[in-house]
Amino acid sequence: MIRQIEKYADKLYADGSALPGRTALLAQDDCLLTWGAEELFSLGRAIIERLNVVSLVLAQPALPFMELLLQRVAEAETQLVPLDTETRTFLHDIPLVRKSDFSHADPQHLVELLGQRKGILVEGVGILATGSVTVEQAYINYSSVYHAVYVKTLFDLLCAAPPSETELQLLQPLWAQLEQPIASRVADLYQGELAEKSQILAAMQQAGLRTVELKLVDSFFGNLSCGQGDQLYISQTGASLDDLAGCIDLVPNDNSSTAGITASSELIAHRAILAETGAATILHGHPKFSVILSLLCDETACGITDCWKDCAKVRYLGPVPVVAGEVGAGGIAKKVPPVIAQQGIAVVYGHGVFAIGQQDYRQPLEAMIALENWCREEYLRRLKLRCPQMNLQETL
Amino acid sequence: MKGWHGRLLNIDLTTGRSWPEALSADLLQNYLGGRGLGVRLLRDFYQLDPFDPEMPLVFAVGPLCGTAAPTAARLSVVSRSPLTGTIYDCSAGGRFAWRLKAAGFDALKIVGRSSAPVALGITPQGGEFLPADQLWGRRITETVQALETKGSVAAIGPAGENRVLYANIMMGEGNSVGRGGLGAVMGAKNLKALVVDGQLKTSIVDQQRFTEARQDVIRLFKASPVIYGDLGIANYGTPALVDLMAQRRMAPTENFRKTVFADADQYSGPAIRKAFQPKNHGCYGCPIQCKKSLQDGTPLPEYETVNHFGALNGINDLRSIVNSNNLCNQLGMDTISAAASISAWGEARGRFPRAEEIGALLQEIAARQGDGDQLAEGAKRLTQKLGKPQLSMSVKGLELPAYDPRGAYGMALAYATSNRGGCHLRAYPISHEILRKPVATDRFDFAGKARIVKIAEDCNASIDSLVACKFSFFGASLEEYAELLSAATGVEYSPQALKTIGERIYLTERYYNQQLGFSCQDDLLPERFFTEAGSSGDGIEVPPIDRSRFEAELQKYYRIRGLDSQGRFIQADFLEQQP
Repeated sequence: MIRQIEKYADKLYADGSALPGRTALLAQDDCLLTWGAEELFSLGRAIIERLNVVSLVLAQPALPFMELLLQRVAEAETQLVPLDTETRTFLHDIPLVRKSDFSHADPQHLVELLGQRKGILVEGVGILATGSVTVEQAYINYSSVYHAVYVKTLFDLLCAAPPSETELQLLQPLWAQLEQPIASRVADLYQGELAEKSQILAAMQQAGLRTVELKLVDSFFGNLSCGQGDQLYISQTGASLDDLAGCIDLVPNDNSSTAGITASSELIAHRAILAETGAATILHGHPKFSVILSLLCDETACGITDCWKDCAKVRYLGPVPVVAGEVGAGGIAKKVPPVIAQQGIAVVYGHGVFAIGQQDYRQPLEAMIALENWCREEYLRRLKLRCPQMNLQETL
Repeated sequence: MKGWHGRLLNIDLTTGRSWPEALSADLLQNYLGGRGLGVRLLRDFYQLDPFDPEMPLVFAVGPLCGTAAPTAARLSVVSRSPLTGTIYDCSAGGRFAWRLKAAGFDALKIVGRSSAPVALGITPQGGEFLPADQLWGRRITETVQALETKGSVAAIGPAGENRVLYANIMMGEGNSVGRGGLGAVMGAKNLKALVVDGQLKTSIVDQQRFTEARQDVIRLFKASPVIYGDLGIANYGTPALVDLMAQRRMAPTENFRKTVFADADQYSGPAIRKAFQPKNHGCYGCPIQCKKSLQDGTPLPEYETVNHFGALNGINDLRSIVNSNNLCNQLGMDTISAAASISAWGEARGRFPRAEEIGALLQEIAARQGDGDQLAEGAKRLTQKLGKPQLSMSVKGLELPAYDPRGAYGMALAYATSNRGGCHLRAYPISHEILRKPVATDRFDFAGKARIVKIAEDCNASIDSLVACKFSFFGASLEEYAELLSAATGVEYSPQALKTIGERIYLTERYYNQQLGFSCQDDLLPERFFTEAGSSGDGIEVPPIDRSRFEAELQKYYRIRGLDSQGRFIQADFLEQQP
């Protein structure tokens, strides 16, 4: 279990979601194990020992989204409703706790909330998330909450009250990050037709790892596939994109075997996309700015309230189509295939990006990088339009 | 009271009386229903012999039954198992549970023994005693057909009448109260069948909140490849697992001597689809519909059944397996225990039965004739009589299902700690060790499994008390079901509160078992798993389980459970402290 804790502590720092020195992991086996910021141990211990769980992450997000969020929501607000569909599906609403609502000495209120939800937001502490099976599960839940907060905060800067100068200053580290486009590091990936099993598996592992290294996904969420004749290689459900060895299923197209029952929940979508487009490879991830911009919509009187699943329109991010659709057996498999061939890439409203390749993973990864870079630039352009009195360049 | 009716119907078969009894809100809120309520109602009776007339047989539904909560039209039957000697509960779907709730009762508590075969008619007005002399000896379908005009039927077949120790109680739609021999308990009471009817509605406190929670559950089902995926159980039923278990090299074969059966593809999910073009059906109101049946409605076998009447006995004939399943259903017997007993018998005598011999054997078992009389005692007693107890692949006398523990170490531990013996569903580690839900764990590593098993046992005890189907939790979690429960009852439940209730139920069962003489000596796997390797290959090594590592994890489990190193309760007054 110590190995697990160290592995996911490293990931929290590597993916840039948690602030070093303000992060702690606790896990219970037959004794309690602790890692990280000692000042969080007593609070963590008081919480985990009262919960029937395996693991707990307490971490301050690396970027100051909590501060912004707390400033922007009403004092009486007790929860955050995620805008991104992945988090909304799996975590629902996320409780929000103010400093005045709990004490470190007796965090019963936090215990009760974590007894109800997989992750919560706590002023002065950050994100708290639990896992009832593994340490990894607490890490995943932390990452999901972080993703939700990231998307919600930045979306609100565009669509709710314009950002103040203070807010722009607080987010200076983010603007600095965005100043550097994501590097198009694909030249060293497998090139050409993927024919042999060993080659396919290696190429998939390579592409998955690179997607994580380039921070195109939070933690390791996403999936990828490679068609080969009458069968399909696809990453397994819940597999880490940066650790795919042994986590890729081979699924025959005629369903003559069901061993691929462990394949990604997006198997249906992957199959439909390959069948429709004749592509060889698919890469799917949740790049944050593509997700944020996919939520923008000029139509305010169309009558649809659950846009993420009910919107029938195809909208565009630049030339890239955006469609609505639910995860898994929902609408993605119906909505994405008809539009993805236009540009070799498509966005699912509030969810993520699918990109296809004719031979290898260079093409879809390049397309995903290009789209995310475009979305980052477009985000900044729109932000500048919202606050003409502010010079974002000076802020940077 | 919303969600519950707050009423139990007592039935005394000896005196021919039935009378309602109020169930307090406190009791229901602390034990929910189903398994939890049944276990609590046995507090004063659990030490009785399973065939003692005064041993209660409890049928209990849960607070979500009768609502639109997905997969909640289920009940638990609770008593003491004649096969294992432990406290025992078994959950089943179908329409019976929903009708029982609609009759206005949260539970039936049946005691006594009728002087002649009898059937019980249950309506909102109470119990009616129906002569069943003409039904005694009949198979399930005949019995159901004779009674179904009066409502939904639960019945025993000849196996239950003849006290086969793994006799089922069968629901009219083909679902079974399928393990542990509670059908024999019913047979010992001379109770052939129950038929329930009613139209009462289960009222809900907050319909809007309930609807939203239900939508959350359905969304999670759609996101689960195991449930609604192209290759999932909604499409192929549980035989979808055949190919996966073969690939993972953990399909019990020839009485667990091997873990791969070369011909498993003959009875896989796709093979069944190709052979029969089955139609979907399932429990009342269930959106998954994982049951598959022939066009005439005859249920097709589940994963456990195809493996045990297939690989475990070295049989690759799909039609024979389907026939064995159908015979067990008609005679009222558990397919897992029947096939496992035959397999142990086969290994003991040096030859597994041929496909064409199985049908006659099953009929002999149900009638307790010829070799069937010994086989009817289950693998543990059978192999003891044959002088080869090491060939019983069972824990606490319950034959193991179709997940070889050498291929999943959490499963190995969970078989051992299960309160009802060798059962995969108490902690269901297959969910994370094989199906990667909610997250994947390393199946060949014991690290962390003690606490995972403990938490899962608590969760599943509460799920069995709601009563919901475990398959829901390949997608949803207690978070969404706590929301459904809170919306239905108006009592605020959190996942943590449900786990606490589950822990109470689990420890109560273990306490009962301890008082019945069970100890750490019973928390053991058959020796074979520590000394013989499984079938390695395709880059997968399946070594024997490391005994010292297993024992160390078991000790961890005891510590996490608050038990001493012998797995005993430290508090002698544990039971008195429970509500």
